[in-house]
Amino acid sequence: MIAVRRAPRRLRIAPYVEFAKRAMAREATYRFDVFTSIASVLVRVYLLKTVWVALYARNAAPKELPLHAIITYSTVALLMGLVMDIDQTRSLHDRLHDGSIATDFMKPIVVPLYFFADGTGEVLFHALLIVPSLLLALFIVHIDVPAPAVLATFFLSFGLGYCVGLFLNFILNCTAFWTLEISAVQMIVTWVSDLLGGELVPLVFFPAALQNVVAALPFAAMFSTPLLIYTGVIPPERWAAALGVQAAWVVLLGALSAALWRAGAKRIVVQGG
Amino acid sequence: MAIIEAVRLRKVFRSPEREPGLRGAAKALFTRRYTEKVAVDDVSFSLEPGELVGYIGPNGAGKSTTIKMLTGILVPSGGTLRVAGLVPYERRMDNAANIGAVFGQRSQLYWDLPLRESFELLRAIYDVPRERFERTMKRFAEMLDLEDFLGTPVRQLSLGERMRGDFAAAMLHDPPIVYLDEPTIGLDVVAKEAIREFIAQINRERGTTVILTTHDLADVERLARRIILIDDGRVIYDGGLERLREEYGTHRTLVVTLAEPCEGRFDVPGAEVASLEGCVVRLRFNRRELTAEALIRRVTERYTISDVSIIEPDIESIVRRIYLEGYHEGAAATPS
Repeated sequence: MIAVRRAPRRLRIAPYVEFAKRAMAREATYRFDVFTSIASVLVRVYLLKTVWVALYARNAAPKELPLHAIITYSTVALLMGLVMDIDQTRSLHDRLHDGSIATDFMKPIVVPLYFFADGTGEVLFHALLIVPSLLLALFIVHIDVPAPAVLATFFLSFGLGYCVGLFLNFILNCTAFWTLEISAVQMIVTWVSDLLGGELVPLVFFPAALQNVVAALPFAAMFSTPLLIYTGVIPPERWAAALGVQAAWVVLLGALSAALWRAGAKRIVVQGG
Repeated sequence: MAIIEAVRLRKVFRSPEREPGLRGAAKALFTRRYTEKVAVDDVSFSLEPGELVGYIGPNGAGKSTTIKMLTGILVPSGGTLRVAGLVPYERRMDNAANIGAVFGQRSQLYWDLPLRESFELLRAIYDVPRERFERTMKRFAEMLDLEDFLGTPVRQLSLGERMRGDFAAAMLHDPPIVYLDEPTIGLDVVAKEAIREFIAQINRERGTTVILTTHDLADVERLARRIILIDDGRVIYDGGLERLREEYGTHRTLVVTLAEPCEGRFDVPGAEVASLEGCVVRLRFNRRELTAEALIRRVTERYTISDVSIIEPDIESIVRRIYLEGYHEGAAATPS
C-alpha cells in the first residue's frame, strides 16, 4: 500500500521565493534588453531635458515647478518607469492564451501567488537597473535631492503607486479569462495611463476640466502623486490626503483583482482549461 | 482499497449559442441561449493501487475531460469521485501533491529556464527533501538519458528530449498516482520505446498507479493489462486485454510464401484471401472454425509452399472493430 501524502495546511513561501528567483534569473538572460533599457532611459532623459529647457525659455515658468524641478520630475519619472512600465502578470495572459494555465492548477500552489511572485522577481531585477541608470543620468542632468522626510514619503508613495499599477495590469490580464485577446484594450489603457498618469507631463499643467477627469481615475496615483511629493508640489500638510487616495485605489483595485480572479478561476474549473 | 473511485461521473459543458453574423452577435448580447455538450456521460471505474490502466477512446470520447476531473481542475456535473481518499476539486492543493501528470501536447516545464532549473523549481513546489531529490534526479537522468541536455533551456529541446524532461518532472515528487495523456504523441520509435520502458519501470518499482490515455495502442499493448474503452462519454468495455483479444481477436492471418508465383486464382476452403502479391498470400481465418494446423494442411494439399507464418490480431484492429460495431459480450460468435 502506498503512503498517500498530505500537503501541509499552512502556506509554504519557499516555492514563491523560488518563482521570484527564477524570474530574476530569466530576466538576466536577456542581456541585450538590459543595455537597451538603460540606453533608452538616458536618451529620453536627454530629450526631455532639451524639450523642457526650450519650453521654459519661451514661457513664464509656473511657480510650483521651476526648470530644475521639472527636469528632476521628468528624470525621476523615467527612472520609476524602469519598474512601473513592466507588465508583471503578463504571464497570466500568456498562460491563459496557450492553455498552459491548466498545468498550473495541477500543482500544489496558490496560482495567483505564483503570478505575483514571478512578476516580483521580474520587477526586482529591473529595479536593479535604476542604480546604474541614475548614475549615468547624473552626467546629463542635475537632479534635486529633497529632505530625508520627503524622500521617505516619496518611496512610500512610489510603493503605493506600484501596487496600483500592479493591480491594474492584473485586472487587464484577468480579462483574458473571457476574451483571450486583450492587446487592443491594453494599448488603450497604456496610452491613457501614460497621458493621464503624469509620467510625461505633470498634471498641474493640465486645464482644470481635464484635472477633474484625472482625479476620478487611478492613473495619477501611479506616477503623479509620488513625483509631486518628491518635487515638493504636494506640501507635507497634504501628504496624508495624497497617500490616502493612493491607498484607497490600492484597496479598490485589489478587491476588484480578487473578484475577477475568483470568477475567472471558476470559469476554468467549470468550462475546462 | 481502491485508490481511484469514479461513480457515475458526468460532465456537461454549457456554451452560449450564437447566431452567425453581426445581428447574431448583437442578439447574443441581450439574450443568452446555451447549448449543452455532454463530454462525460456516465463513467464508473475503480482502480487498485499499482494498477496500470489504458484509458482508450476516439477523439472527443471524454478521455481528457475525465483526466481533468481526476486532477481537480474540472468540477464534475454529476457523480462522485475520490482520488486517494480525497475529492479532487474540493481539495485541489492536497490532491495535487498526490498526483503527477504528463500531457503530450503541453509541457509543464518552464520554457525560458534550463531543464535543471525547472526541476529545482518543482523540488521547491512539492517540498521534496534535498537528499531524496538528488537521488531521484540521478536515477531519472540515467533512465531517461537526461544528462546531455540538463543545462539546455527547454525551448531549445527537441520533442523527444522535452517529453523525457516532462516525465522526470511529473515523477520527481514520487506521486502515488500518475496521469499520462497521449504521452508518446509525435515521438519517433526509439523515443517511444524509452518512454514506455520508463513508465513500466516506475509502475513496477514504485508501485505507482498509472492511467494512460493514448491513440497509440502499441503503448497499451506494451504496458497495460487492463483497458477501459470509452465512447460518447460512456464506458463500453472495462477489463483485461486478454479477454478482449479472446472475444474479438477471432481472426488470424496466415501468411504463406509459395514456392512459385501463383498464376490465376488462389483458393482454399475455410479461409479468405486478404491479399495476393507474387508468391506471398495472406489468408484470413476464424480460429474458432479452423485451426492453423488444419489450414496449413489444406494449403499444402493444393500448393507447394516454402514458408508460413501466423499474424495474431493486434489490439488496434480489435478496438477499431469495437468502435465500428459496438461492444457485445461474446461478440466473437458473430462472424465479420
